[in-house]
This record gives sequence, structure tokens and C-alpha cells, in this order.
Amino acid sequence: MELVVTRNFGNPKPWTLASYRESGGYEALERVLKEMSPEDVTELIKASNLTGRGGAFFPTGLKWEFVRKDPKTPRYVVVNADESEPGTYVNRLSLELDPHMTIEGMIIAAYASNAERGYFYIRGEYGLSHERVKAALREAYDAGFLGQGICGRDDFNLEVEFRRGAGAYIVGEETALFNSLEGKRGNPRFKPPFPTNFGVWGLPTAINNVETLAAAPAIVMKGAEWFKDLGIGDAAGTKMYCLSGNVVNPVCVELPLGVSAREVIMDHGGGVPEGRTLKGFKPGGASSAPLTPAELDAPLEPKSMAELGTIMGTGGVVVFDDTACMVDVAYRDALFFEDESCGFCIPCREGTPNLVQICERILHGQGTMDDLDLLEELGASMMASFCGLGHFAHQPVRGAVSRFREEFEAYIHGGHRRAET
Amino acid sequence: MLNSPANFQVNGRAAARPYCMAIHHTELETPPGREPLPEAERPKLDTLRERLQPLKELPGSSIEALYAAQELFSYVPPEAITMIAEELKIPESQVFGVATFYTMFSLEPQPPNVLRVCRDLSCHLAGAPKLIGALEQELGVPRGHASPDGQFIVKVVSCLGLCDMQPAMLVNLDQHGPVMPDDVPNLLDDIRNGAG
Repeated sequence: MELVVTRNFGNPKPWTLASYRESGGYEALERVLKEMSPEDVTELIKASNLTGRGGAFFPTGLKWEFVRKDPKTPRYVVVNADESEPGTYVNRLSLELDPHMTIEGMIIAAYASNAERGYFYIRGEYGLSHERVKAALREAYDAGFLGQGICGRDDFNLEVEFRRGAGAYIVGEETALFNSLEGKRGNPRFKPPFPTNFGVWGLPTAINNVETLAAAPAIVMKGAEWFKDLGIGDAAGTKMYCLSGNVVNPVCVELPLGVSAREVIMDHGGGVPEGRTLKGFKPGGASSAPLTPAELDAPLEPKSMAELGTIMGTGGVVVFDDTACMVDVAYRDALFFEDESCGFCIPCREGTPNLVQICERILHGQGTMDDLDLLEELGASMMASFCGLGHFAHQPVRGAVSRFREEFEAYIHGGHRRAET
Repeated sequence: MLNSPANFQVNGRAAARPYCMAIHHTELETPPGREPLPEAERPKLDTLRERLQPLKELPGSSIEALYAAQELFSYVPPEAITMIAEELKIPESQVFGVATFYTMFSLEPQPPNVLRVCRDLSCHLAGAPKLIGALEQELGVPRGHASPDGQFIVKVVSCLGLCDMQPAMLVNLDQHGPVMPDDVPNLLDDIRNGAG
């Protein structure tokens, strides 16, 4: 199968400009600037059905068009590389191995959305990515792909600033990221107004995930139809899936969007370690509710995952074998969200520690059957949270209860005792 | 103590200080409950002020400013928060808010080697609890405390995005993984010898 965003990973020193140029890098940008208008680019991206790879799967071309149509200036383009979803490391690999592809995508996005300023925001823990992206931005400036009069076009300028975070999951939420860029606490903002009209500094902003932007140059070179056909069924393009947990090979593979979980886990991950059996898996990071082996053949794409009551998320597939305790798994997720809740709104600030307490109670053999109902009720009230974190924080716990109920009941009825780790 | 509204003065006359008004210290003061910067460290404040100058041109650079302080002092001392607020012309409360919001900033002095161990799902399944236990045992202190030689601190943190190296950890910003409990003594030795 043809690779899109990971195709250069095996090249020698793929993070350098020289290597990227050798494999056809920045040719898409040159073609865009020579042959296409911003309208042509958004039409092309819309036709390719490229959607946001950060987990929301919003149509990318549409986003860029909204930004371009907003009369306020200057417009911004922002790379969201605050990848912090547990079980997800796809953006890290792209930034470390092929930062120029994302930068080229960013410049194309800026042209299509008529933006003249940009931020490249990377989470604080990705030290190697900081170095590689900073060096790549310098190289791009020196080669005339960034700055004033890009590729000899006097009417197209883009000034990009590198920024790093300092440890906050919630900053991956786009409006929280804007606050972080403005030097504030990373609390999310109310939507609407949406980022396309009211983004960083209150100006129209095209904010995209690394993987989304990295796909843009290939679409320009090979066409919308080509990209669309890469996906399976209605899903368009490819997705980087990454494996972790109880799996033989914790690797990242680029596969058609809509591939089955079986293919990802069994063929590419090598399944669970020898002598163990598969108990379940999470399709997309901590926020996604776990699924059972019976659902292995479900296509990993947003629509079918939603039908199963979980989410496609980031493509971070976490595998559980028979040694994993699903109550403990739910507890870990609850701990994560308790830690990462920004504390701004009550349903999330109070709800996440309550999830932890209920899980703890059950783990310590002090839970009751009422606790399982309480989790449902708590989840319903957490839907009143201000942002997505609160909306998703209870899903992994409730999902674990609905699919692995017998494990929770075993604890409640005293069948299990587990030492605190 | 901070200037209280009672002794706030305008043109030499006592006046009520507006609640939101930034305090401009002639001498940097320490808020209650926090240790002032040791005398020996104070000359570094001039270096910090120099390093803050280019950030004045970059709106919204308070995170970078806090990184600059932490790089100099190993933590963000109260005097640095006041100085950042004054230099970048933002409320002190906002700088303090940012310093406490992001987990990578410390308000307490830190050892030179901060070991961040991932405690989330993938690393947990791959044996992070045993790794954390081995680190605590080898260093002789629980997580969150500086080791007796003052060289290390173990912090148990959210997912580091190193799940392909599960169980993974960061030594400052250097990636390590998979780290098995048996690897811990050698890893610590390497860091002590500067090869970490």
C-alpha cells in the first residue's frame, strides 16, 4: 500500500531539508504557488475528504475556507502538536523524523486560508521534536519557504514562531492552546465563536493536527481522488495507527483509514504475547471506551467506532491481554483525567475525582452494585462540562463497565482483591 | 509581606490600592508562605532580567519566561515571578497562575536530574509500577522527594507519548525506554557519569 505521511521515515536523516528535497519535498508548495489560487487549494482538499487527524475528524478544506472568508486580519495558522493522549505517539514520530512535511503542509494551509502568521506549538516533553522542528524552521526560512515573499511570490508572506508547552493535556484542546499561546493558563474557551473566526488573539485561525497538515503536500501532488481511494469504504486517506499495551510489537504503522482492528493488532502488532489471550482493546487512546475481541473486525474509522459507543480518537490502539484487570484499567484512566482536568468547570473538576473514588472503592472490595449505577449518573452529569475533556473522561470507565461488567461485579461480590500498585 | 492596602501610597499620601493593580517593587519581595531566593543566588536575577528582554517583543511568552527562570535557578522562585510580571507587563497573578498550571514548572528547588516516569495505561501494563518501585528503592526516597545525594527526583507523570518504548521515562528531556527494573542501577550510574 502507498504511504502518505510516513513515506520518508526510512530515508537517511529524513529530518533534514536536503533529504526532504531529495524525496520531492516542497514541490507541492511550489506547484501551489505557481498554479493554484487559495480557492483551488481548499476545493482540492475538500474534494479529498481530508479530515482532522487529531481525533475530531472535521473537514480540513472547510476549516481553511472559513478562515479565508473571515475579513479580520492578520489570520493565523497553528500546528497543534500538543499530543498527550495516553497510548498515542504518532505526532512525535512525524516531528522527529519528518518535520518538513508538516511545515510544508502548514505553509500550504496558510496560503489556502490567506494567513500570514503562524505558530508551531509542541508539548513541553517532546525535547527531540523541539530541536528537530526548530532546525527545520530555520532551514525553511533560509531556503525561502518561510518569511517574506515565499518562493518569489511578493504577495505571500508567512512568519512562523516556534512555541513549546510545559505539561498540560488539556492544551491539546484548540481553544486552550490559544490561551497557552497567549501566555495564559490553558483553560478552554467557550465555543462558539469557533477558532476559524475567533482563534489566537481573537483572530481567524486555522488550527490543525500535525498528521493532517502532513497529508496536504501529497494531496496536491497526486490529487484528491488518489487520496480518497486510499481509505476503505467511505473513509478517505490513511491514518497512522500506533500500538501499545500488551502487544508483542508496540509499533506505529500507516494504514488505510477504516482498516480493521484485527489487522492492526494481529498483523502489525503481532498480537498478544505468547501464551496469553486477547481480552480487549482501546481504539483511540485513553478517552475511548474499550472494546472486546468480538469487535476486532470493526473498521477503525470515526463512524463505525461511534456506532459501537466509542470513538476513533487519535489512533492510539491500546491492547489488553488476560493479565490486565479492566477495573484497574478504568481506574488508571480515571486517575489520568483527574490529574489533567483544568479545574475550570465544576462537572469535570468534581466529576473526575469522583470517578477515581468509585473505582478505588470497587478495587478495594468496598464497592456496591449501586456504584455501577452511580457511575452512569455521574457520567450523565459530567456531560454538562465546559469542554470535551469532561465529556470524554467518564466514557472509558462507563465503557469498561458496560463491556466488562462481570469483572466489576466480581470485585463487588468479593471475588477479587488486588494490591494497590 | 506584600504591600497591604493600608500602607499603599500615591504621591506620598496613603491611598487605597485598586485590587487589580500590579505592585511595582523597588525591592523584590517574597509572598507569604514561600522561601525567598538564597542570597548567593540573587545575582542570577540580573541574568534573568537580561534573558527576558527579547521576550518583551513576543506577546504571550510567559511560558518561555518561566522556562528561562527555571533553567537558571532549577525552579521558579517567587522573585522571578514578580520580575517576569514587571518585565512582560502582565499581572503577577497571571504569571503565578501559569507557573502552577503547567506541570513542568516547579516552585521548589529541584535536583539537576528530574526523572519523569509515565504512569499511564500503556506503560502501566508494561510494568511502570515495578520501574517506579525500583527507582524509589535504588534512590532510597519515595517519588516526589530529592534523593539524599541531591542528584535525583522521581516524578510520576501523565503519558509522555513514548508508548513505543513502554515502560518509558524522561531524564530531564532525554527519552529512555523500555526501562526494566534491572536496568535502573546502570541507568542512574550513567546519568551520574554524565552519559545519561
